[in-house]
Amino acid sequence: MITKFNVLTEKICKQLDKAAGLCIAAVMFLVVANILLREIFSRPILGTYELVGLLTALGIGLALAHCAWQQGHIAVGFVMDRLPLKLQAGFDLLTNLLTLGFWSLTAWQLCRYAASMAANGVVSATARIPVYPVLYLLALGFLVLVLVQVVRVTEAARILFPGVFSAGLRPLSELTGSARKAIR
Amino acid sequence: MTPLLAGIIGIVLFFAFLALRVPIAFAMALVGFAGFSYLTSTSAGCSMLAQEIFSNFSAYSLSVIAMFVWMGFLAFYSGIGTRLYIFAHKLIGHFPGGLAIATQAACAVFGAICGSNTATAATMGTIALPEMKKFNYDTSLATASIAAGGVLGVLIPPSVVFIVYGMATTESIGKLFMAGIAPGILLMLAYMVVIFILTSRNPALGPAGPKASWRERIKALRGGLAEVLIIFIISMGGLFKGYFTPTEAGAVGAAGVLAVSLLGRRLNWDNFKKSLYETTRTTAMIMLLVAGAMIFGRFMAISRVPFELAAWAGALSFPPFIVMGIILLIYLLLGCFIDALALVLLTIPIFYPVVVNTLGYDPIWFGVIVVLVVAMGVITPPVGMNVYIIKGVAPDVPLENIFKGIWPFLAALVVCLAILIAFPRIATFLPEILL
Repeated sequence: MITKFNVLTEKICKQLDKAAGLCIAAVMFLVVANILLREIFSRPILGTYELVGLLTALGIGLALAHCAWQQGHIAVGFVMDRLPLKLQAGFDLLTNLLTLGFWSLTAWQLCRYAASMAANGVVSATARIPVYPVLYLLALGFLVLVLVQVVRVTEAARILFPGVFSAGLRPLSELTGSARKAIR
Repeated sequence: MTPLLAGIIGIVLFFAFLALRVPIAFAMALVGFAGFSYLTSTSAGCSMLAQEIFSNFSAYSLSVIAMFVWMGFLAFYSGIGTRLYIFAHKLIGHFPGGLAIATQAACAVFGAICGSNTATAATMGTIALPEMKKFNYDTSLATASIAAGGVLGVLIPPSVVFIVYGMATTESIGKLFMAGIAPGILLMLAYMVVIFILTSRNPALGPAGPKASWRERIKALRGGLAEVLIIFIISMGGLFKGYFTPTEAGAVGAAGVLAVSLLGRRLNWDNFKKSLYETTRTTAMIMLLVAGAMIFGRFMAISRVPFELAAWAGALSFPPFIVMGIILLIYLLLGCFIDALALVLLTIPIFYPVVVNTLGYDPIWFGVIVVLVVAMGVITPPVGMNVYIIKGVAPDVPLENIFKGIWPFLAALVVCLAILIAFPRIATFLPEILL
């Protein structure tokens, strides 16, 4: 079951990352199109400034989880790398549980922020685009980041309690998280 | 507990999380949120958390990061770096140490379309290292010269670290970019002198390669340098002249590299996708750092740590340059352990008011100095990011060997730093004249 959860999490991360890539590419094309229309035809695209901001927010928010899945968020490992494997896994378990809780809270707060924006009918200044869908999508990005943290917790738990978390799992060499670093 | 004490405990807690391998962005956001909530209220902390994340992720001024990052990855995947290196190789590869010197020139020119030291080191590592191995270069000199050359990527515009510094201090990104040009060239020359001295004393370190004909050189010139020059002039020129915002300059640069690569049939669909995925990953990493630093900064501001520090520094009877020296030493020490970008984000809210408002130094000059000092951290042990990247490219070379070769280049960085401190106008004259 844990293996299926890991595979599903990775798939979701990749799909969101693809959507993030589209948003970033859209920003580039939008900005260049706006410059060309502004300079050649004196007709800039209405609301480019806001659209760029919202698309960039989506490009970042939807890529957060895949970045975490690939260990892309910078961490300093030289202290922990010197500790025994079990101790590393113990600390990993605790810190990942803590960050799991924190990103869950962040996702929840972004949802609340979105709900208040929707209730107040907040839209962007020029193009009148509703802002709350972007906030809900950002919350989704953080929610998937929480899933990645759950995977990290299970990986650390597998090292700490090998007897409890073993049946039906991928070999340790295929682990993706801090546990993999620890094994190295 | 006083706010000041809470701030100091927060800083200690942050470093404890770092030691426990918590990603830097996660640690900054978590400690910042907890500290802010403690000093205000949990509901205020929760509101601040959601607002800071959304306002930073959706800030138009910060979308520039994604654009310049994509520009660099497009340049990497379309092979512009390779063509730049071939040109430099044909031009000076026949001198002793010529390939290592050519690598510095290629790093500097590649830095003109790439804003990251790690991307520059990775690009040149994959291209230059096999060539230097072919000509029996000393592995220590070969690997260290590329790791150090990567630093040129953040000094020569565009530069992600300058963007983040400008964002954190509200200084002009255009001025910062321009201020990095002369120090970048100075550092490149200093590296070249180091390689020249080393190979003059011991020619076996970098044997001379074959001499290319002028025809070959001119052919190679059309390969990469012309493309980079055109893109740099349009993108950076537009920014410096005020035609473009930084985001527009980045988008035009990325579109320029994309157009040149597609016209030259040097970018296939697979590499295009790879460049985009690398961009989303890097941008997400940088922007979560930025948001984390902003949340941490909000906590620091209400804890009054930066103001107390500024007041303390102002009351010291030391001359300003001594205080400045202490600050640079702190940067140098922290830079050995913390990533350059994270270090700038973390420390600027604390040190910027001291250096600029209390000691009266020029903020643009300070930006260049900070970039140079934190850049030393990427090639010094134990967390020399560029060294680890080169180690990834050359797994057969022991890490100690690369670090051993770094020392002369580190000396060159220190000399450049000293020159910039003694003659600040090297950094500030271009923005003063042109903007």
